[in-house]
Amino acid sequence: MGCGFQADIRYPACVTNHPEHTPRSTILRRAATLATAVPALLVTSLTAPAFADAPAQWENNRPYSPLYVITVLVVIPAALFALITLLVCLPSMMGKGKGSYQPGQPWRSEPEWFGGPRGGVAAADRTEQPLAVGGTSDHPDERGGASGRW
Amino acid sequence: MAAGEPFTAAQRHEIDRAIRDAETLCRYEFSVFVGRSEGESRPFAERLHATLVAPERSVLVLVDPAAKLLEIVTGTEARRVLDDAEVHLAVLAMQSAFAAGDLVGGIVQGVQQLAEHARRPQVRHGS
Repeated sequence: MGCGFQADIRYPACVTNHPEHTPRSTILRRAATLATAVPALLVTSLTAPAFADAPAQWENNRPYSPLYVITVLVVIPAALFALITLLVCLPSMMGKGKGSYQPGQPWRSEPEWFGGPRGGVAAADRTEQPLAVGGTSDHPDERGGASGRW
Repeated sequence: MAAGEPFTAAQRHEIDRAIRDAETLCRYEFSVFVGRSEGESRPFAERLHATLVAPERSVLVLVDPAAKLLEIVTGTEARRVLDDAEVHLAVLAMQSAFAAGDLVGGIVQGVQQLAEHARRPQVRHGS
């Protein structure tokens, strides 16, 4: 950490935290700034508002009645809005009442058996006797599983 | 759709897809019964299980939403990879979903979980 070590560190150029500004470069920079800013300012300040008349060929239309204007601009868009909203919401509104069974309600419909035999529970009642008796008497505790309540 | 159907077509499709995915995942047969169980739920579930095409390789899930009952029966062969403790875990997951009022979600989740447990890593170095 002595002075001898400091002497070994050499930078390729003179290192300083003040940028080197010569008077000449400062003048050049200011001139360039002026040269770009003045034309821009001139152009934007010199413009006048554009005046234009409707072309003479355009015929002078009759004024519309307020009722007509309200119909076209308010009533028809509102009706379209309501119609599209209804069309979007209708399927889910119809589906909600039918398929939303909540657990705990009495089960009023037929049982659903996913992946079961073709005949469903009726087939189970018809065919269960030999299978169940044979299956359970041979290996009574071979089957596993678990039960639960909620 | 007939009146009083418990599931919409989309929900039915969801359960069907869960069963199909489970079967492709672990190569056991899954079957889900949703409805009122006749008499005692456990014997009824075992009776249903016995009527399946291949009971030894089958897992039957019985859900009685009105009585808030849940039974899972595993066949002898399926039980070798899916022991009762693992089945009980699936039961717990399904119970919490059902208690929250999500019947279809609970069934789908339970079937998926059973399949995950029943899946055994493929043995690549066997004789």
